[in-house]
Amino acid sequence: METFSFILIQLLNALSQASLLFFLGSGLALIFGIMRVVNFSHGALYMLGAYIGYTVARLTGSVWLAMLIAPLLVGLLGLLFEMGFLRHLYKRDEDAFLLVTFGLTLVLAELTRLTWGAPPLQVLLPTGLTDVVFILDEPMPVYRLFLIAAGTISSLLIWQFLERTRLGLLIRATSQNAQMVHALGADINLIRSGVFALGCGLAALGGVLAAPSLTASLGMSSAVIDAFVIVIIGGMGSFLGAILGSLIVACVQTFGNFFFPDFALVFLYALMLGVLIIRPGGLLGKEV
Amino acid sequence: MTSVFKGRRSLIQGAGLVAMAASSPLLVRRALAAEPIKIGIPCALTGSLAVVAEQTKRTATLFAKQMNAAGGINGRPIELIIEDTGGNPATCVRKVQQMVERDGCRIFTGITFSSETLAVMPRLAEWDSIYVACGNGDASMTADAFVPNFFRGNPSGPTEARLLSLYIKDSGLKKFYAIGMDYSWGHSTVAAFEQEMKRNNIEFVGKVFAPTGTRDFSSYITKIRQSGADGLMMVQSGDDANAFMTQAAQYRLGDKVKMFTTLIELSTIKAVGEASKGVIGTMRYMSTYDDPVNKTFVDMFTKEIKETPDWNDGEQWKALQFIATAIKKANTTKSTDLIKALDGMELDTVKGKASFRACDHQSMEDGFVVQVDKVGNALLPVLVKKYPAEQITPACLKKTFDS
Repeated sequence: METFSFILIQLLNALSQASLLFFLGSGLALIFGIMRVVNFSHGALYMLGAYIGYTVARLTGSVWLAMLIAPLLVGLLGLLFEMGFLRHLYKRDEDAFLLVTFGLTLVLAELTRLTWGAPPLQVLLPTGLTDVVFILDEPMPVYRLFLIAAGTISSLLIWQFLERTRLGLLIRATSQNAQMVHALGADINLIRSGVFALGCGLAALGGVLAAPSLTASLGMSSAVIDAFVIVIIGGMGSFLGAILGSLIVACVQTFGNFFFPDFALVFLYALMLGVLIIRPGGLLGKEV
Repeated sequence: MTSVFKGRRSLIQGAGLVAMAASSPLLVRRALAAEPIKIGIPCALTGSLAVVAEQTKRTATLFAKQMNAAGGINGRPIELIIEDTGGNPATCVRKVQQMVERDGCRIFTGITFSSETLAVMPRLAEWDSIYVACGNGDASMTADAFVPNFFRGNPSGPTEARLLSLYIKDSGLKKFYAIGMDYSWGHSTVAAFEQEMKRNNIEFVGKVFAPTGTRDFSSYITKIRQSGADGLMMVQSGDDANAFMTQAAQYRLGDKVKMFTTLIELSTIKAVGEASKGVIGTMRYMSTYDDPVNKTFVDMFTKEIKETPDWNDGEQWKALQFIATAIKKANTTKSTDLIKALDGMELDTVKGKASFRACDHQSMEDGFVVQVDKVGNALLPVLVKKYPAEQITPACLKKTFDS
């Protein structure tokens, strides 16, 4: 393989992985940024997205429909959870969020096991995306290119939504000073519920998009660690930071696994440690 | 007065009748039926191998049900004591001890992890108990850690490595690459495989270890494609194996390299579907094996459980076949008598003929190399080559096979 084609293929590999990581990390970043909630259950919601996606795909025969319905259902679950539990805890200190979201992780993991059973389940590639294209004689699954497109479009849309719409402005304002926004007459409870639901929905979308390459399995909930690494590198609570974090993590994993497979994991955590020492708030986060 | 006299007389007559009846075999059997044969199954129903332990549980339950419906063993019903160990060796030892002391259980089978079995083995003599393994591959059990109260009813890890390397030697492939999980099992198996390849003059072009829990295998796949290998050995299990095989299929890796794995499981085939088609590996037991005993077993199993038996279903059934036959032959549950009965015992099992060799209690049985293929509408492992026990089993009390 020539150097150019090798770099191109690896770059595409990294970008497709970054897209999946983006869905996982951006939800966590948004929730933390707006609500100051460290959502431990993010990995479990990602896993739940994959399982619901499996069932929808099985019942309707369409993975495309699964990609629509799974995020909506998990978003709805997030909404109910925020209204039923988190809302009553904002006055307490942050440990309360850790405990209650960790509790949700355990509950979701057990419910998933009871509902779908322990063995992993197959989720097929969506119709129309099962082929490979040859880029400079190297095979590249069409699905990976679709992931890159999905990640790019979603991140642009959400970014523009946050930057250019009135609701986006309110969300950003809430992340900076919730009391002030409240005093100005906006319903911050509604904003918080909405953002939590959006974050959960994004995680679920990540899960259902990852499922055709992973199978839907109980082990998926450990993805919460990747999500934290992204958010720590990119910046706690920063949406653009989550995009940057996903790209960095994906590139370190893809190129690291190739050139230094024995140290790929070490690189990632060393990078995270470096960021924590030099910029404790993350690359694009506010200093804390 | 008369009534008392009559009463006493009838009492004596009655006692006489009971004494007579007791000597008849039918009644003896009924009297003993109150004392069941207890078989203890401490398995890891929770944890990463829960699927395997579930197989042990369902198969043992089915075995007991079938035996008891047919009148038990020598008239005594089987009573199973199944408990979860969570895969923890200390918990497993505690559970076995409880079953010995609380339930008076002396016969054990179905422990899930080798590490648990190794923890239990040194205590078996003290507990006056026997253990018949059906899924414990660690080489030392029939070597330096061997105890006479232990029997291994399944092939060991080195047996499987040897089996696959013999097949690869015959396959005509020239260059091999290996991908393993980045922990002791992955490293030691890849190392053993590398040694076997070199011994067979097959070029070993590289190896890579992916951390447990890796989700994106794209750059590993690029690496394998670049290596110029025509064969790939996968030493992976669980979620990692599923993710790798699914992604390898998405990148059409199978068009370039022939894929081998140490262990084929139905749960993996089910999870990855078409991506597993064509993969070659060893399998301890497969439902498609053409054998009359197996056919009866598979028909009965699919009728009762409504699923195709996986490898551990077959292996667990075989272990219980051995245990039941030994109890029947010895007509007791005393461990010393059961050991004598099991030593050298040969049975027609679901895998064909199998026997426990007396020197290290290793089951001598044919080894299977299988390939995943379409059988009707389902993807199933199908036998491609069978090797006799003598060619693949390490010598007595030895860990590896040295030719």
